[in-house]
Amino acid sequence: MIYYVARRLAVAVPTLLILIIVSYVLMYAAPGGPFDTERTLPPEVMANLQHKYGLDQPLVVQIWRYVVSIVTEFDFGPSFQYTDQTVNDIIRQGFPVTLTYGAWSFLVAVLAGVSLGIAAAVCHNTFLDYLCVGVSVGAQVLPNFVLAPVLTLVFTLWLAWLPGGGWQGGHWPYVVLPVIALSTSFMASIARMTRSSMLEALNADFIRTARAKGLPMRRIVIRHALKPAMLPVISYLGPTFVGMITGSVVIDVFFATGGIGQFFVNSALNRDYPVIMGITILAGALTIAFNLVVDLLYAWLDPRIRY
Amino acid sequence: MSPLLFGRRTIRALTTTGAPDTSGGRSLWQDARGRFVCNRAAMASLAILCVLVLFVLFGDFLAAWSNEEIDWAMLGNVAEEGGPSFANGHYFGVDELGRDLYARTVQGTGISLMVGVLGALVSMVVGTLYGAVAGYLGGAVDNVMMRIVDVLMAIPYMFVLIVFMVVFGRSILMLFVGIGLISWLDMARIARGQTLSIKNRDFVEAAVAIGVRPGRIILRHIIPNLLGVVVVYATLLVPSMIIYESFISFLGLGVQEPDTSLGALISDGASQMQYGTLWQLLFPLSFFVTTLFAFFFVGDGLRDALDPRDR
Repeated sequence: MIYYVARRLAVAVPTLLILIIVSYVLMYAAPGGPFDTERTLPPEVMANLQHKYGLDQPLVVQIWRYVVSIVTEFDFGPSFQYTDQTVNDIIRQGFPVTLTYGAWSFLVAVLAGVSLGIAAAVCHNTFLDYLCVGVSVGAQVLPNFVLAPVLTLVFTLWLAWLPGGGWQGGHWPYVVLPVIALSTSFMASIARMTRSSMLEALNADFIRTARAKGLPMRRIVIRHALKPAMLPVISYLGPTFVGMITGSVVIDVFFATGGIGQFFVNSALNRDYPVIMGITILAGALTIAFNLVVDLLYAWLDPRIRY
Repeated sequence: MSPLLFGRRTIRALTTTGAPDTSGGRSLWQDARGRFVCNRAAMASLAILCVLVLFVLFGDFLAAWSNEEIDWAMLGNVAEEGGPSFANGHYFGVDELGRDLYARTVQGTGISLMVGVLGALVSMVVGTLYGAVAGYLGGAVDNVMMRIVDVLMAIPYMFVLIVFMVVFGRSILMLFVGIGLISWLDMARIARGQTLSIKNRDFVEAAVAIGVRPGRIILRHIIPNLLGVVVVYATLLVPSMIIYESFISFLGLGVQEPDTSLGALISDGASQMQYGTLWQLLFPLSFFVTTLFAFFFVGDGLRDALDPRDR
């Protein structure tokens, strides 16, 4: 097990390094420097500025400094656009917001998806089952950027039940629509996946044995069928997480929640490279860490996995 | 299988061979076509897709306005008079700048379809070649090539794609390249898995025995046998390509004005909906949803038809 963890880390660390290096090189290659303004600066001033930020150094040295400052001090450098803020300030400001509704969405997607899937499998070929299949097919074509406007249209403009944007420190009415918009398509995928793996598990021989012994259905599902049925779902948690991180960009922009996604798109439109890179690297690190956890969980739950 | 279908196939056999085919041999593709034709949802979706393509190709001839033209009479009172109407030639209404939404929907659907199909095509070519080479060569080469895929898969591609678009400038070409280059990873894995099972077959061994070089074996013997699986996956990839593109355009980072795509149109519609111009949201949205549904059903139908496991 320890060997397995070490080997996974041995892949994860270079992945992150590659991400950092590639994004730095891309930024370096991009046309237009950070100090280009309408008024051209005197060459001496320009040289001083370049020197102050270490931009006169060779590329390799710059990358080395950038990596070292991230690893040792967790410092992503200054923002070009918001001159009084560092990238760290921006992340510190936006990340808690994204994390709040992201965690809720993740919980809702997993819990609601798994319950719906189990219910559909247990009540196979009933109304509940058709509902589950219908929802999961429908949600395939409703990605978050389609669902968000529709939800706002119905719940904000027509019914006037919930606010259509803003955050207000995470007061609950402001969290509901972002969570629904972000979690629905993943909930549908999880429900579909749970349903099919649960159906497969319920048809297995050991379940028939349990039934023959006269165990109640509830006990069969919870004690015997749930664990093997959950394995594919657990391996889907990684992509779900990535999808939530990516989707949070749309949610932040559409609902103006003030999360990191909003900063990301703003910086992308204004070519604020340090912020773009910082957020990309943060998203990458989170993704890699989460995938590692999921893989370990999977290996721990499924005794058939060899490390 | 319906009697009509059987009849059609017999007629085809008669016309192609000129004599009754008594051997009864049917190729894999014929078999698959039969199953696909029986799938009503898939056939209906295929018809819808054909209509959409016709709409994109010839929709402009029906339009009374071009997609860039501003109807000055509408500007300023879009909410009251800009709705869908046949009288003034704006079949889908106008957008907030007084441009004809019908013409823009034609163009947006076209760009979304084009990005979807071309992106899937790029990822199909790159992924199949990569996976087939890795699987056929095996050993250390395979190991290194697949580790690279693992590393790339762990990166949040949407962020990288946006960085890519920012650095190299926003254009449709960059969208094609960026989306295609990022989405070949799954394809490479699938192609590699299939190659591993194909490369030990007798016909490959025969080719090796008569001294065919590896490159030729991969191109002439391995890849044609991968095509079934690859085509199915590529069809299912098209809707996700469309979603990627619309995602980026929704954020305003994709196609540039005056070009547009369904994602950009949905974004415009969403930002205007509080003024009551709902047609601006609902027309692009229904086109988007219809396109995705059609592609999903066609892909599912193809999978059912070509995948021997689910028969």
